Amino acid sequence: MKPLLRLVDVRKCYSSGPKCEIFPLAGINFELCQGERAILFGKSGSGKSTFLNIVGGVDSPTKGKVYFDNREITAMSHVGLAYYRRKEVGFIFQSFNLFPTLTVGENVTLPLDMLGIADYTRAHELLAAVGLDGYWNKFPEAISGGEQQRVAIARALAKTPKLILADEPTGNLDQATGNGILKLIDQVCRESNASLIMVTHSADAVWLAPRHYRLKSGLLVEDNYTN
Amino acid sequence: MTLKTLLKFNFKYYRRHALLAVLCLLGISLGVGIVVAVELINDSALASFASSVDFLSGKATNSIISTYGRIDEKYFKTIWENPKVLAATPLVDVVANTLETGSEPIRFLGVDPFLDTPFRDWVPQLANRDQMLRFFGGNPPGVFLSKDLMSRYNLKKDGWLTVLDAGLEKKIRILGPLPENSGAGLNENLAVMDISNAQEVFGRVGRLDRIDLIIDGPVNSALPNLPSGLKITNANSKKSTLTAMLYSFQLNLTAMSLIALFVGVFLIYNFSMFSVLSRRQDMSLLLTLGCDRQSLLLAFLIESLILGALGSLIGLIFGYSVASYSIGKVSSTISQLYFQVNALHVELSGWVVMTGLAVGFLATIVGCAIPAFEVAATPPVLGLKRQSIEDRAKSLRVYLFLVGAMFFVGSIIAAWASRRSVFWGFVSAFGMTTAFALFTPGFLSPFTYYLGLVFKKIFFNLEAFLAARNIGASLSRTSIAVAALAVALSMTIGVDTMIYSFRTSVSAWLDEALKGDLYISPDTTKWDHPLPTALIDQAERDPRIDSIERYSTYEIYLNGKPVKLRIIESEILRRKARFIFVKGSENLAWKEIKNGAVFISESLAFKFNLTVGDSLTLDTPDGPRKFPIVAVTRDYSSDQGTIQMDRTVYKRIWNDDRVQSIALFLKPGVSREDVKKSLADQFKGLERTIVSNRDMRERVLTIFDKTFAPTSTLKGVSLLVALLGVATAMMAILLERSREIRILGYLGLTSGEIGRMNIYQGLIMGFAAYLIASVCGLLLTYIIVYAINYRSFGWSIDITVNRWIFVEGLGLTLLACFLSSLYPTFKLVRTPSGTAIKEE
Repeated sequence: MKPLLRLVDVRKCYSSGPKCEIFPLAGINFELCQGERAILFGKSGSGKSTFLNIVGGVDSPTKGKVYFDNREITAMSHVGLAYYRRKEVGFIFQSFNLFPTLTVGENVTLPLDMLGIADYTRAHELLAAVGLDGYWNKFPEAISGGEQQRVAIARALAKTPKLILADEPTGNLDQATGNGILKLIDQVCRESNASLIMVTHSADAVWLAPRHYRLKSGLLVEDNYTN
Repeated sequence: MTLKTLLKFNFKYYRRHALLAVLCLLGISLGVGIVVAVELINDSALASFASSVDFLSGKATNSIISTYGRIDEKYFKTIWENPKVLAATPLVDVVANTLETGSEPIRFLGVDPFLDTPFRDWVPQLANRDQMLRFFGGNPPGVFLSKDLMSRYNLKKDGWLTVLDAGLEKKIRILGPLPENSGAGLNENLAVMDISNAQEVFGRVGRLDRIDLIIDGPVNSALPNLPSGLKITNANSKKSTLTAMLYSFQLNLTAMSLIALFVGVFLIYNFSMFSVLSRRQDMSLLLTLGCDRQSLLLAFLIESLILGALGSLIGLIFGYSVASYSIGKVSSTISQLYFQVNALHVELSGWVVMTGLAVGFLATIVGCAIPAFEVAATPPVLGLKRQSIEDRAKSLRVYLFLVGAMFFVGSIIAAWASRRSVFWGFVSAFGMTTAFALFTPGFLSPFTYYLGLVFKKIFFNLEAFLAARNIGASLSRTSIAVAALAVALSMTIGVDTMIYSFRTSVSAWLDEALKGDLYISPDTTKWDHPLPTALIDQAERDPRIDSIERYSTYEIYLNGKPVKLRIIESEILRRKARFIFVKGSENLAWKEIKNGAVFISESLAFKFNLTVGDSLTLDTPDGPRKFPIVAVTRDYSSDQGTIQMDRTVYKRIWNDDRVQSIALFLKPGVSREDVKKSLADQFKGLERTIVSNRDMRERVLTIFDKTFAPTSTLKGVSLLVALLGVATAMMAILLERSREIRILGYLGLTSGEIGRMNIYQGLIMGFAAYLIASVCGLLLTYIIVYAINYRSFGWSIDITVNRWIFVEGLGLTLLACFLSSLYPTFKLVRTPSGTAIKEE
């Protein structure tokens, strides 16, 4: 099976001068096939979000290559990267990042609008699937945090992306709500056969993916998470 | 936390946002600048005029003038011999153009140098026989000129000055400069010549324009029995009479200055508020960290004082520069329409500086204090949430709408009350503008929501959809900017529609009034330069000319106020032209005017509360005489008011048959060019003043356009100020919504698409402002025409809506908003879409 995502010796360094001073990623090699899931653990500042951003095409590595579906995304222009994110990647954020100016329905259909898809059937189905049928015309400010995260999941999946990147999706939620969100992610990923990379601190998410990794000194280490 | 720390904190904010600081200062300085510029122009024109009156009056305690335009010189001897008159001097005082000075006219003062000695020390003292001969010798006549005038136009002693009298060239010898000790620093284009020479050159033989006096004791007892038609006056009453004549012109400028002030204050408030609100979260954080509210408020107060001081200072310089640039044009318009002024320099008076500073400081302090106080009074936890500002703005919009409705009703009541005083007309205009400014948030919110839907569902334009929603989501910023732009635009539309309607009405009036084929109408008509009799005789004898119509217009006094007396030939006009009769029967009016009745203009009827059936009393050489009014006609030639009288009646009573301009009605098939050429060949210089019907119309309309030229300048500056507001609001949105913009990048929007969204944002704000302004502007036109213009001048104007004003308004607004959005867009596009955001 061909990998959907492949990272080859990806390095990222931050510096305030000519010399690299911080190495969040110090030579990462990673592969993920279609429908596969991986969870990434690590301390704060270990480079988890940097990893996710590079995979998502919102940050570029200092060195190394990233391939998606055999296309080298590290060689893409800004416009090419925008189209890559628009079509292939669904983001789920810790702080939901819904647009307060748009209704729930408009938030979910925004990725479809970007792709020029006028058929909102899937958006309606997804909202029903996340238990928010009837919330279409509500504004984000009028719903709870858990509900907002469910809207964000529906938004990430509306365009049926091949890859979902979730950055601490339960970080702002209480445990019960967070567990509900994890089940939902599991369900929708299964239904759409999307690959998932999730960054989390939470041990409650272990069951969601068979492959667990930890970022240690800039390197990706397989982690058989045992709590 | 010390005040010093807080001030340092605020200073660092401006260092980080240097552009914002520049915009803030620009907004304040433009607002202050406009107010200062208009005040300076008004003050300088009047001050120049007043100092000119004082200078020309010299040591005279009083002057005798005529209430019907001329003093027969035979009266001088009696006055001079009066023992209570310590000194008297006859004067010919006339303004004329010369070939050498072009459009800059010169005041020619005809004096008797012996009698004038007690009055003016700048009249040349003739030391030797040769000088006397040259001064008194009439062939060619000689003049002394002000030194400044000579050096500006490189005029040399013993050189020539070509005076254009009624358009015809007359050569005068330059005898030299006026004495140095006189009127240093006065910008007076002055020529002094012998009185009899002046009478000869300017067609005033046997008449004087003024007699200056030095009287011992009370004026009334000194000269109790002046001949009929003569009036004793002094420099102050002359100043106030002529200042009153400027009322309408200054009203126009003042109205525009008030508009600019309104927009300026709005903008200063907008900028100041923005600078505070964009630090709302920082302020709340400082409160959370233990800073006390008083220190916080004090820090913002000091900041606003510094901003206000800097902005006001720049504003004063800007206003001074604008005034200096425009004063020449304004002076020339005043000279053209009313009386000669030579205001070439602008002087900053303490009052104007204080006004400018007060406007700048007050608006900045109010703009900073209100939001700073609001933030300081809000619990820190709420202040940390930006959304709470928008929630507040949203909840306020209903109240603002209701207050706006109250202003709307108040404006209509004030318009009705304007029949008592024009003051209420201004109140009405400001009430209406304020009402629409207050309607803005209530309109903007649903408008952007539904417009967004239209963009999305009908045009499938995602960027425009998001842009519309962004505007609605940032009401606290966008509504102020849109309101300011709408205010400036509505004033523009209102004033432009009024000017267009006015121009259309004037043009229609000219169509009816000007029916001659050719006109000999020199520029100097307004200065009472009669045409030579030979020219009129020649025209009358010319077999190609069917008939000629002779005009004269004199400045006379009615109930102590200056008005125009126009002498017409009713027999010819009745056949050839068409008057617009507002009141009175046309047939009866034409019949009665030959029997001594008069027509009056609308403005005269309004100002003196006269109508058909009333009569007016004019001074004549034989004493006061009543003239019945048989018609009120539409006449835009003078806002002072015009009385029209038949020439035969005037000639019989005043014994005066001078003619200032003529209209030539040619026989069928005769070429205008041929007649024009043959007349010009015989009278040197006439080619400059003989014009076709079309040229005459254009000349009048050019003067009309010139009158309203300052309005356009002020209008442009107001609009510029408002557009700066749009640019600031967009920068604010950019700063505050940067996270949302980056999320759009995560979702796959390209930098170009985000840039387009930003430009749409500017365009939608402009379009919203335009829609509000279109309605408000039209209502303002009615207020300006019926509650301000009519109440001020008595002119009725037919309101004509010009669709191009609206099209042009929309085009300019969209273009300007597009330009306003370019810099923020440039900043956006430079940052690649999808820049990483930090998760909290």
